[in-house]
Amino acid sequence: MAKENAQNLIETSDYIGHHLVNLTFGWCEKTSSWGFANHQQELFKGLDSACKVSEMGFWSFHLDTIFMSILLGAVVFGFFGLVNRAAKKGVPSKLQNFAEFVHEFIASAVNSGYHGTSKIVGPLAFASCLWIISWNLMDLLPVEMASFFGHFGGGFNYFKILPTADLNAPLALAIVVMILVTYYSVKTHGAGGFLKELFIVPLGPLEFISYVSKHVALALRLYGNLFAGEMIFILIAIMFGQFAMSFSQTLWFLPGLILNLSWALFHILIVALQAYIFMMLTIAYLNLASTKH
Amino acid sequence: MNINATFFAELLAFCIFVFITYRYIWPSMENLLEDRRKEISDGLEAASQSQRKLEEANKESATILDGAKAEASSLINQANSRADQIVDEAKEQAVEEAKKIKLSAEADIEQSANKAKDGLRDEVAALVIAGAQKILDKEINAKANKEIIDSLIKKI
Repeated sequence: MAKENAQNLIETSDYIGHHLVNLTFGWCEKTSSWGFANHQQELFKGLDSACKVSEMGFWSFHLDTIFMSILLGAVVFGFFGLVNRAAKKGVPSKLQNFAEFVHEFIASAVNSGYHGTSKIVGPLAFASCLWIISWNLMDLLPVEMASFFGHFGGGFNYFKILPTADLNAPLALAIVVMILVTYYSVKTHGAGGFLKELFIVPLGPLEFISYVSKHVALALRLYGNLFAGEMIFILIAIMFGQFAMSFSQTLWFLPGLILNLSWALFHILIVALQAYIFMMLTIAYLNLASTKH
Repeated sequence: MNINATFFAELLAFCIFVFITYRYIWPSMENLLEDRRKEISDGLEAASQSQRKLEEANKESATILDGAKAEASSLINQANSRADQIVDEAKEQAVEEAKKIKLSAEADIEQSANKAKDGLRDEVAALVIAGAQKILDKEINAKANKEIIDSLIKKI
């Protein structure tokens, strides 16, 4: 019995671990070559490396994150670009109505929150909000789906479809915001004024700490929320998977469905809310940076 | 947490998408909405203007109608009075004419009566003369005289 429990525990942690591993391609120190980590793909057998994901250093790429984020970006921005191109004067089509509604929503947020003169804030808010929403929506797809298709159809064992649950992606967005905030702060207050604000007035270097932490927090807030959401989906799946193994498959189907569905419905709120928060904070930070105070 | 080179790929991708939005999506959308806003405000302006024009036209047509009515009624009054006048004049003329005709008829009648009287007198004289001649011719026949006189009387 104890042995069985231990076995179950290993399987469970394996299951969770499996769902948290990205499809990684990188530099393996052991063999001094580029390759896929974890023997995780059968599609390009020659490219497997001996390293695990954790053994790869900084020079590795999460191909699933990059692929999914660029695909989603292409879909979303392609949609808006095409609708804009097809737009004509007079009575707008329904797709155009939708695109205009989204645009108006973001533009009104920018207009009410940002009082500077920069022309980049609107596009930045638009791009970040929509890109993040498209990422987050991937969380609502069933947790097993990507692994299932990857394993049985795609020829690779690991594939995370949620770019937000990979810290690299939100951090990249936050760093872009940080660079812009720094640029506009220097432009507004001058390099000396900005440094003085960071290190001397009014509370010494505390201001610098808050400056760094607010941008890191921007990334971590988004990452944390979506990572946790994904994790709860995984835990629900495990719980009912275990129950179904032990007792009866059909008996546990319905409660599993109800729990998954209720969490998914609640999660829709988080999906949109986190994108909105990211956008509003971006606007607020840039507003602080580009107005004198 | 594993931060790795994925970060740079995402950074690059985000910069590219922001640029695409900045270059192709945001401004054209703004222009489109601005145009639409202008179109709508122009349309509303035109609508209210034409409403105003309609009201003005209505007012103008009402005044024109009133003027026309007034003119028509004054014309009718004028015509009526003129007609009365004409009728009166015609009556007067007719009466005068009738008087004239009557006078001339009376004069004619008198003249012809006089003529007739003259003719009658001449005829009576001739008859008397003729009767006297006949009487002178057949003095003895009283009966015959009586006949002659009777026939004379008949002729008169």
